[in-house]
Amino acid sequence: MDKYEWLLFLHVSGAFLLIGGIVVAWTFGIAAVRRELPSEIALLMRLTGAAAAAIGIGMVTTLVFGLWLVSYLDFYKWTDGWILAALITWLIAGPLGGAGGKRDKETRQFAERLAAEGDTPSAELQARVRDPIALALNLGSSLLALAILVLMIWKPGAGG
Amino acid sequence: MIAFLRPDGWDFPLFVHVLGAMALFGGVGAIFLLSLAGQRMPEQAVFARRTAFVTLLAVVWPAYVVMRVGAQWIFDKEDLDPDMPTWISTGIVVGDGGALVLIALTVLGWLALRRKPSVARYFAGLAGVYLVALVVAWWAMTAKPGA
Repeated sequence: MDKYEWLLFLHVSGAFLLIGGIVVAWTFGIAAVRRELPSEIALLMRLTGAAAAAIGIGMVTTLVFGLWLVSYLDFYKWTDGWILAALITWLIAGPLGGAGGKRDKETRQFAERLAAEGDTPSAELQARVRDPIALALNLGSSLLALAILVLMIWKPGAGG
Repeated sequence: MIAFLRPDGWDFPLFVHVLGAMALFGGVGAIFLLSLAGQRMPEQAVFARRTAFVTLLAVVWPAYVVMRVGAQWIFDKEDLDPDMPTWISTGIVVGDGGALVLIALTVLGWLALRRKPSVARYFAGLAGVYLVALVVAWWAMTAKPGA
């Protein structure tokens, strides 16, 4: 494998971690909405933490190796529209996902506390699991990550 | 170099294939995590097994179909027969072999849920092996050895 192939593999690996992690997080998030027992919700939200780690690593990896690829290849420029659009989208998606993840973490801690205190269903926990602000933040960051994938494949404005 | 020379008409099939593959990786990752949690937390084992099985049916299988349809779509456009490069062969082995793995996971998941909980460890092991196979496949698809 030459340097280009390594850079591309690591860049794409970051994308797999990012989008794969988002799929895991949504899978567990939707499953949590359908549960009532705090212990079950706490388990799902703890596992979402592993997905969040994959998303974080994926975001950093795609950026680092993506920028490296741009500097390595002569025919792409930092100022290409699709690269700038991807960078701006990346910059917006990160904080959005981080804010959603922070609210999810608070819900997980609440679920863990309820699980330790008798594990009985709670209306407040149900409301927190369905938190529309967290949902909007997570949905927004997920759609932006998808938009980055679209930009990477179509490369609008790039020749060839 | 194929990424630079790719005709515009290949973009959408490639998007379908890549998105399906990423969702498949995430779905298999989810059932692997649930299986491990079920092994390590006996009091949550039944719930974890049930959620893993539902995830297999609702996320992993549909993602596999999207990935495989996208793969066939772009393969037909690339017209690579009869000289099949190594990277395509690797993708086909992991792609088509994946159907057998998913059938095995479905049987094991059902058995773990309904008949024999002890097979849950094989479910977890097979999901882990398939995750590694998916990494090998995306390495072959991106690095394109033999291209």
